[in-house]
Amino acid sequence: MALSSAQDVFDLRKIRRLVELMKEHDLSEIDLQQGEVRIQLRRGWNPQSPTMIAPPTVSASLPAPSGQPAAGGEPPPAQPKENIAFIKSPMVGTFYAAPDPDSPPFVNVGDHVGPETIVCIVEAMKVFNQIPAEVSGRILAVLVENGAPVEFGQPLFKVELEG
Amino acid sequence: MFKRILVANRGEIALRILRACQELGIETVAVFSEADRGAAYLELATEAYCIGPAKASESYLKIDRIISAAEIGNVQAIHPGYGFLAENAHFAEVCRSCEIEFIGPSHEAMALLGDKNAARRLAREAGVPVVPGSEGLIENEAQAIALAHQLGFPVLIKAAGGGGGRGMRVALNDLALKSALQQAQAEAEAAFRNGEIYLEKYIEHPRHVEVQVLADNHGNVVHLFERDCSVQRRHQKLIEESPAPRLEPRTREAMCEAAVRLIQAAKYTNAGTVEFILDSECRFYFIEVNARIQVEHPVTEMVTGIDLIKAQILVAAGEELPFRQEDIHQGGAALECRINAEDPAEGFRPTPGRITRLRVPGGFGVRFDSHIHEGYEVSPHYDSLIGKLIVHQPTREAAIACMKRALRELHIEGVKTTIPLHQQILENNAFHEARVDTTFVERNWPS
Repeated sequence: MALSSAQDVFDLRKIRRLVELMKEHDLSEIDLQQGEVRIQLRRGWNPQSPTMIAPPTVSASLPAPSGQPAAGGEPPPAQPKENIAFIKSPMVGTFYAAPDPDSPPFVNVGDHVGPETIVCIVEAMKVFNQIPAEVSGRILAVLVENGAPVEFGQPLFKVELEG
Repeated sequence: MFKRILVANRGEIALRILRACQELGIETVAVFSEADRGAAYLELATEAYCIGPAKASESYLKIDRIISAAEIGNVQAIHPGYGFLAENAHFAEVCRSCEIEFIGPSHEAMALLGDKNAARRLAREAGVPVVPGSEGLIENEAQAIALAHQLGFPVLIKAAGGGGGRGMRVALNDLALKSALQQAQAEAEAAFRNGEIYLEKYIEHPRHVEVQVLADNHGNVVHLFERDCSVQRRHQKLIEESPAPRLEPRTREAMCEAAVRLIQAAKYTNAGTVEFILDSECRFYFIEVNARIQVEHPVTEMVTGIDLIKAQILVAAGEELPFRQEDIHQGGAALECRINAEDPAEGFRPTPGRITRLRVPGGFGVRFDSHIHEGYEVSPHYDSLIGKLIVHQPTREAAIACMKRALRELHIEGVKTTIPLHQQILENNAFHEARVDTTFVERNWPS
C-alpha cells in the first residue's frame, strides 16, 4: 500500500478503528478527506462478512502544491459503471434513514427497490417528506448519515440499476 | 447581534452582503442554484447549500427551500438582497413565523407600500406632493376618459401591483386611451397577477431622482440624500449619481424631508428608497417606494461614507442607528455604471458566456462591485448585470473624468458588455451639462 506524505490518514490503528466504527454503526462506506488526500473504505457486497474490506483507495482529489500527483502510483479511481445511478435529494432538509427513531431503516445495503419504494425521509420545515427511489435496482451504498443536512441534488443512495 | 445570516440571493449583491457580514464577524450561509455551483463568491460563505436547478422559479424564488436551508444552516436572519424575494411580503411573513429575522421592512409596511395606489394615497395624507391623477383605481373606461380630460393629455396608465415599467402606457387622446387601458390591464395581469390600474398626468421629459432612507426600530428615521437615475433605457437604469446635479438646495431639502415624512407615516423600517420625478420646472412628485436595498446603493455609500448593508443588519438586529440626521453629509460626487452582459450593437441582447479575460480598474476613488472572475460562466438564467463600476471624487467633473479613465481600464472579454455605451454617454454634452431626463438614452441611442 502506497503511503503519501500525510501520514495521519494512513495510520493503521486509525484505519482499524474506522473499520470497527463501520461495523458498529452498520456503515457500508466511509469517505474521508484531509488536505490533499482522500481515503475511501467500502465494506464487501456481503454484509454478513464485515471483516472483508476492500483495500483503501487513495486518490489525490486536489492537486498537490508542486503540481505532481502524490507519490506511490495509486490505482486511479474506478470509472462509474453505466448501470449505476444515484438517488438524489429533491429538496433541502434533514435526512432520516428510518420512519422514526425506534424503527429500522427504510432500506439497507443490498435491498431491492422499485420506483415507488420509500427510501428515506427528508425533513423540511417540520414536514417529513417521504422520498421514493424513482428507479429499480439494488442499494449499493447509503451516502448520508442519519440526521445530516442535505442540499438539493445531493446524492443519498448509490443504486445498481436492474431491468 | 446575529451569529449567522443566510443570503437569499446570488451574484454581486450576494457578494456584497457576504463581505459586510464578514466584517461584522457574522457567519454566513449562502444558497446557490446548479447554474451558480462553483462560483468564487460562494467561498466567502461559512456554508453553502444548493437549493435547486438553474431556473430562478425552482431555486432563488423557492421559499420552502430557502427556509429549509436557513433551518439546517442554523441562521437567525435572512438578507434577501434585491429582486427575487426582496419585496415579497409573504416571504417576509414566513421568515418571521419561522422565527428568522427578515433583513428589511415588516411585511405589513412592505404590503402597504407595494400597493402603488395605496402608497399614493398615504403620500397625499402625509403632505407629500404626488403626480396629479386618479384618487384611486380606474373602475371603467368612462371614468378614465373624464379624468384624462380633467388632467389634460397626455396621461399615463400605471399598474397598482408592480413597477419596472410593466403595465404602463402613455395615451395622447381618447382613442389611444381606450386601447391603452386594455393593454395596460392585460400586461399588469400577466406580470403581477393584478390588473388594477390608476391614472396620472404624464410628465414629459421627467428627471428620476430618488431619496435613500433608513429607519430603525427605535423611531429614528433619516435620509441619506438623493440619487439621480435619469440615464435609463426602457426603465432600466444605466448610470446613477449622487448628488443629483442641477438641483436647488431647497428642492433637495424639501424632497428629502418629504421622503422621511412618508416613511414615518408608513411605519417603515430598515432601508428603502422613495422615488420622485421632477418636471421641467423642477417640481417634484412622489412616484413609489422601493422597499428594499437597491442596486445603486454604493453611490450613496461613497458620498455619505455610510455602509448601507451593515446599517440594514444593525437595524434588523434591533440596534439603534449610530447617527442622527445632522451627522449625515454629502461629500463630493459619485457615479455608478451598471455593466451588463448585453450587446448594445444588437439591441442589448443578453450575451451569456465564459469570461476569458478580466482586468479590474483601481486607483483613488474607484470601486468595482462584481462577482465575476476569469473563467466565470455568465448564465442565461438571470439578469445580465455582471458588475457595478463606481467612482467618487471631490467634484462631478472629476468623477466623470475618473469614470472615463476607469472604463478604459476595465477589460472584460468573453461576453459583450454595455461599456461602449457608457463611454459614449460620458462623452455626451447634455450629460456633462446635466441636461438629462429619462428620455435621453432612447433619443440619442435609438434601438
